[in-house]
Amino acid sequence: MEFNILIGGEAGQGMFSVELELSELLSRLGYHFFATKNYMSRIRGGHNFHMVRVADGPVHALSGRPWDMIVAMDSEETERRHRPSLGEGGVFIGADRVGQIEAEAKGSFQDVAATSTILVGLILAFIGADPAAALTAADEPARSALTKGRDFAARWELAGRMVIAPKAGEHCKLDGNQALALGALLGGCQFMAGYPMTPATSILHYFATVAAELPAHFEQAEDEIAALNMALGASYAGLRSMVATSGGGFALMTEAVSLAGMTETPIVIVDAQRPGPATGLPTRTEQGDLDFVLHAGHGEFPRVIFAPGSIEEAIALARKSFDLADRWQVPVFILTDQYLADSVQVMEGRVPTKMLRRDYPVYEDGYRRYAITADGVSPLTYPGLSEARVEVDSDEHTEDGKITEDLDLRVRMVEKRLRKFEGLKEEAVLPSRCGDRKAKTVLISWGSNRLIVKEVIEALQAEGVALAAVHFGQVWPLTPKMARGLSRRRLVCIENNATGQFAQLLRRELGLKVDHRILKYNGECFTVAELLEKVKQIAG
Amino acid sequence: MLKQDIAWCPGCGDFPIRATLEKVLKELPIAGKDIVLTSGIGQAAKMPHYLPYSYFNGLHGRSLPLAVGVKLARPELTVIAVSGDGCQYGEGGNHFIHTIRRRLDITILACDNKVYGLTKGQSSPTTDAGMKNALDPQGNLNLPLNPLAVALIVGAPFVARTFAGDPQHMEQVFREAILFKGTSVVDILQPCVSFNKVNTYPWYRERVYRVEEPLRDRLEAIRTAETWGDRIPIGIFWRDVQFVCREGKAMFRKPVTEDAVTRLLNRPCIMMR
Repeated sequence: MEFNILIGGEAGQGMFSVELELSELLSRLGYHFFATKNYMSRIRGGHNFHMVRVADGPVHALSGRPWDMIVAMDSEETERRHRPSLGEGGVFIGADRVGQIEAEAKGSFQDVAATSTILVGLILAFIGADPAAALTAADEPARSALTKGRDFAARWELAGRMVIAPKAGEHCKLDGNQALALGALLGGCQFMAGYPMTPATSILHYFATVAAELPAHFEQAEDEIAALNMALGASYAGLRSMVATSGGGFALMTEAVSLAGMTETPIVIVDAQRPGPATGLPTRTEQGDLDFVLHAGHGEFPRVIFAPGSIEEAIALARKSFDLADRWQVPVFILTDQYLADSVQVMEGRVPTKMLRRDYPVYEDGYRRYAITADGVSPLTYPGLSEARVEVDSDEHTEDGKITEDLDLRVRMVEKRLRKFEGLKEEAVLPSRCGDRKAKTVLISWGSNRLIVKEVIEALQAEGVALAAVHFGQVWPLTPKMARGLSRRRLVCIENNATGQFAQLLRRELGLKVDHRILKYNGECFTVAELLEKVKQIAG
Repeated sequence: MLKQDIAWCPGCGDFPIRATLEKVLKELPIAGKDIVLTSGIGQAAKMPHYLPYSYFNGLHGRSLPLAVGVKLARPELTVIAVSGDGCQYGEGGNHFIHTIRRRLDITILACDNKVYGLTKGQSSPTTDAGMKNALDPQGNLNLPLNPLAVALIVGAPFVARTFAGDPQHMEQVFREAILFKGTSVVDILQPCVSFNKVNTYPWYRERVYRVEEPLRDRLEAIRTAETWGDRIPIGIFWRDVQFVCREGKAMFRKPVTEDAVTRLLNRPCIMMR
């Protein structure tokens, strides 16, 4: 049993408030749910809509089924666009009824903003939430508005229309950006610099908010060039550091990516992808920056790229990123996108809150920052801990960090830096698998599509079609181990871009030939129903 | 002086700047291990390689955001960003403005020879109008930037100009700039013996004079900074005694605890308005 609702209207009409308040209460009441949004790059007007899916089992994607309820906060646009997708027996709450709720909000609470809370009360009544439990779960000021919502549901004969049981128990809900910020803190990150850019901005907001209470700092930079250089300065000085931006901002960071590569300064860089080129569709989703991030920065140096596909994976890989960056002194990238960033998900399992330990080694005078070693990793320390000077240079340098044009040394330094790549390969995170391992057809995904694909596999299984799925949470480096069991299968690569960048990378790096590509690049995520249909056309 | 191959031209103004900086840093009541130099790219940006302190020699124009990062991470360190006029005012011009706005205790030194040296003689942001350079065969069409007037307008609390041909003056200015608690900006007039045939040692010696008396206010400091031509003032033009320096947070070796992170769980999602 599941309930799919869309709340639409103009930017600023309160749809986001409905989503936030609803997801907060759904979480406190122990519901399984998934929430995401589709919004325009404007502050007022236009057309935005928020979608929530409530179910009696875990859900981590948009179903793509007809809506069970549509709430229109505006007079025409939501109805025009979405009413055709209203399911049979679905409920349309249009301008007239929203108007009555608004009048109630103004009348009873002298506050039009109470409209969203009343609507939440109505929705909770619709799915049969226990009224007493809902009131207990709510914060005191919201309680009477929630009750008003119940009253509206009763008056309009909507109460208990679709009863969903809260079966998730006590759990944690996070959006993708919160998960990354949380993972960063668990990885020991204490410094972040950034310049706001959708859809990365909420990572900055979240980090800045919590940094105020922690031994951590957020600095708003004048541009992305400064942001990454500041973070590298902080990293050099001894704090684990990160930056987060989207493709356009990352474009400005690329010279400093190369700087991190040359100076071997640990850094974690989040690219929350949105459709490009240039400004593109600022508030929509895409997986178009893989090639860019893979090749960003002049010169040759090792890097790692992660692409988490769930909240759990976002936390785990963000945490791991800082450890890897520190131990191997390389830039580590996390590729996320607007879809994952803006989607609120329930964590069924426990949040992994174990912090990773780190060391602050101290060396004697005569310390050489770039000492050539067997694995390519030189001893790393920080200024001020002893008489050891920490000398770091963007030019090709000697072992003690001085400019050099000794070309034999140049060769040894290049090889030293690239040797780290071999060690990084050994530590590579293997792809996760689900479905029937013996199936002939394998659905391949990377990044945010993971759980959409998983649900498609489960749906097909229920129909008696056995498929396998492999999700790459690490997209660079790719190692032969990752390709295990993938040769001689029919490979279907699912990506939110127009050119199948990951399929090409699989071919180039692992010699895997992708037979079919399912690509979407209109700026929206896949829904389960849509992807199911496309997979059936291939594997049906 | 370290036994090292120095990449500067014989007679370069960078030599006396380096020697003076070394003397000042040695004599300061600051442990050498707590000094960090940042620099960008260019001949002046090689300065940290020839001084016995920790340094991060980064990219062209980026010495200042590096300095900001170091200072925010480790407020106890003394941070000095040193680079040329192309680096600090050209490629890093935006950082120059915004670093000053951050109110951090950072010293900004600009070795200003009014020309690009390492790339062989192109106009810099401070090149006088009409001067012929490699890319301006008809003479520089742009107006010169007055970095100290900019610094004063943006709010720098310590602003000074000194001259590479007057080590005694440099010494006094460097010392006070570094000891000043706040962002100090020092523009160092420096001949380029290879590419600037106008602003030479003799040219400067005929013109520079020391401003000894403290200036009354910021407007007078701006007027002094704007004075250029037959007479060129050097000295500490502005020292804001009321300046409130931003204090950094002690974070180094004080990691965020697991308990603190656990307490952050279940925060409401952030509404991106």
